[in-house]
Amino acid sequence: MTLSEIANGKLAPRTGIRLDNISKRYGDHLVIDDVSLNVEPGTVTALIGPSGAGKSTFLRCINLLERPDSGTIQVDHHTIEPGKVINAKDLAALRRTVGMVFQSFNLFPHMSALKNISFPQQKVLGRSKEEADERALQLLERVGLKDKAHQHPGRCSGGQQQRIAIARALALDPSIMLFDEPTSALDPEVGLEVLAVMRELADDGMTMIVVTHEMQFARDVSDTLVVMADCKIIEQGDPRAIMSDPQEDRTRRFLRAVLER
Amino acid sequence: MNWLIEWAGYLPQLMSGLGVSLMIAGVSIVAGYPLGLVLSVMVQHRNLAVRTLGLAVVEIGRGAPALVILYLFYYGLPKFGIAFESITAACLALIWNSAAYSSEIMRAGMQSVARGQHEASAALGLSRGHTFFRVIMPQGMRSAIPGLMGVAIQMFQGTSLAYAIAVPELMKSAYNIGSQDFNYLQIFALAGICYAAISMPATWITVYFEKRLARHT
Amino acid sequence: MDAFSAVLQGLPMTIVLTLSAFAIGIVGAVPLAVGLSSSNIVVRLACRLFVDLVRGVPIIVWLFLLKFGIQVGTFKFNPVGAAIVGLGVVSIAYLAEIYRGGLESVPRGQNEAADALGLSRGTTFLRVLVPQAFRIVSPSIATYLTGLLKDSSIASTIIVAEMVFQSQAFARQHPTMEGILPYVLVGILYIVLSLPVAYLSRSLDARMRKAVYA
Repeated sequence: MTLSEIANGKLAPRTGIRLDNISKRYGDHLVIDDVSLNVEPGTVTALIGPSGAGKSTFLRCINLLERPDSGTIQVDHHTIEPGKVINAKDLAALRRTVGMVFQSFNLFPHMSALKNISFPQQKVLGRSKEEADERALQLLERVGLKDKAHQHPGRCSGGQQQRIAIARALALDPSIMLFDEPTSALDPEVGLEVLAVMRELADDGMTMIVVTHEMQFARDVSDTLVVMADCKIIEQGDPRAIMSDPQEDRTRRFLRAVLER
Repeated sequence: MNWLIEWAGYLPQLMSGLGVSLMIAGVSIVAGYPLGLVLSVMVQHRNLAVRTLGLAVVEIGRGAPALVILYLFYYGLPKFGIAFESITAACLALIWNSAAYSSEIMRAGMQSVARGQHEASAALGLSRGHTFFRVIMPQGMRSAIPGLMGVAIQMFQGTSLAYAIAVPELMKSAYNIGSQDFNYLQIFALAGICYAAISMPATWITVYFEKRLARHT
Repeated sequence: MDAFSAVLQGLPMTIVLTLSAFAIGIVGAVPLAVGLSSSNIVVRLACRLFVDLVRGVPIIVWLFLLKFGIQVGTFKFNPVGAAIVGLGVVSIAYLAEIYRGGLESVPRGQNEAADALGLSRGTTFLRVLVPQAFRIVSPSIATYLTGLLKDSSIASTIIVAEMVFQSQAFARQHPTMEGILPYVLVGILYIVLSLPVAYLSRSLDARMRKAVYA
């Protein structure tokens, strides 16, 4: 069985997401300037760009961890207009459809790995403890951490914690996964374990949006490369094409800086 | 309305009491903090005897209630022929208290200074004295500021215990007025407001410093 | 009767005062801490004002206010009642502040992760934030208990027969050198009594650090 099949118990429904004219400011400071993005079902979108470009903020706007000031989000027949009042039902539906993995893992430190994965299933999806535990164990096995089931996150390495965090998000059967610099807090070789899991998930056909500095991952795994700079999307398209022949000067400078490091 | 008029009548008497309270608090801080610094150095000293003495003074000052120390000075020592005026006894007891509490805060502040600072000083060949007074202490004291402000507020509130040995401070003045006309509710409420009028803004300033310090480190 | 047994006579009352006030504080501080972290500014400011006011007035003033100032119909506080209620209210304020600090020190990412998972606010609070906050603040709570033990001595000023009151009584009857003994003994006794709590606090500190971060 594939990762997302384990998560769903069946093949993942292929869902895309469409964001139109998203803007966000903190006081006078504009952080997202009228950004639109269409993500086709079953594709992987890599979001790259210099730090401070607004990549993470944009990603966090997608599941409304940050509240955009204007724009629309369309997912799974739901249309959400964050500038207006959002009803709790829409918010819950959005968060149920979209899973998220953070740079700093954000596992619950007072719960074992198993509980981290099982507890949200019981609360959000209303699964029984037995069912949720079983699902959690399957996912842990799949990310290679079955033996860590009863350990607390503090006893796991960063790479292990991040894989548990991915399993936790998958356990809620999301049809879209957001990754916010999932390997930035990890040593390079540890990051590889995490990237391997993500690659597998992509192969399963999960819709993914990944903010990353891993250029090789972006080139090899993503279907669409999106370059953000100065609060805007400046270029998007086929990753290999953009990397070998960027159209924008800003993209060229960024890629040179990253690749020459 | 009646209350306000009565309060206005009580206020002059209370103010002289408040003056005494502030004076005792001031003395306990001005004398207590330097002693606290000495104690904080003593408890970190290499010499076991010095360290033990420092620890004993600190632990008694922090571990015994202020009221007990107050009684010890005012009622206890005279039995050995060492008698103090009530106000002197109050000052001495609170000095001990403030020295003990402030020493712990200063010690924690100095121990929070990064190890690298000691190592850098040693690598530069600075003497132990220079390392302590010019490198460690200035940094440690900075992080101790909010804690020391907290102790100052605690000392100001602690002066109210001097009531128990009849020092004519704010609480005692309030009690005296109350026992004349039995308006205990009004007079103690007013006394409470006087204490709060000083403690509350002082707390807010402390919190402000705490936040500023947290931002800058 | 010797000085030590005189002091010991007050021990049960000291313990009753301390533990009763502590129990009131531990429970009463919960809603107040929630109010202090409320997103509703009116609620938050009202709770903040209450906490700062209670802490801004010395305990002895609260005790006198309750003992002498409160009279509703024929009801008046007896000394022990006034002491327990006064110390209890003060504990509520101090412990609420400790709880709030604990809630705030839970990393923001925990809230975000719970949001992203779609956990409800109540579940997030009770199952994610509170357990972590409790582990963080349990040493401070133990430390507060030792403070409360010492503060219970202030009840002697409204004639509650706890340890300091008994010491005073003994000293008054013994104008000789022996009269200093109860003060020394009671001081030592407070320190000895707070030792187990201090030890508990230290071991909690170490254990909780491990439980949360390792």
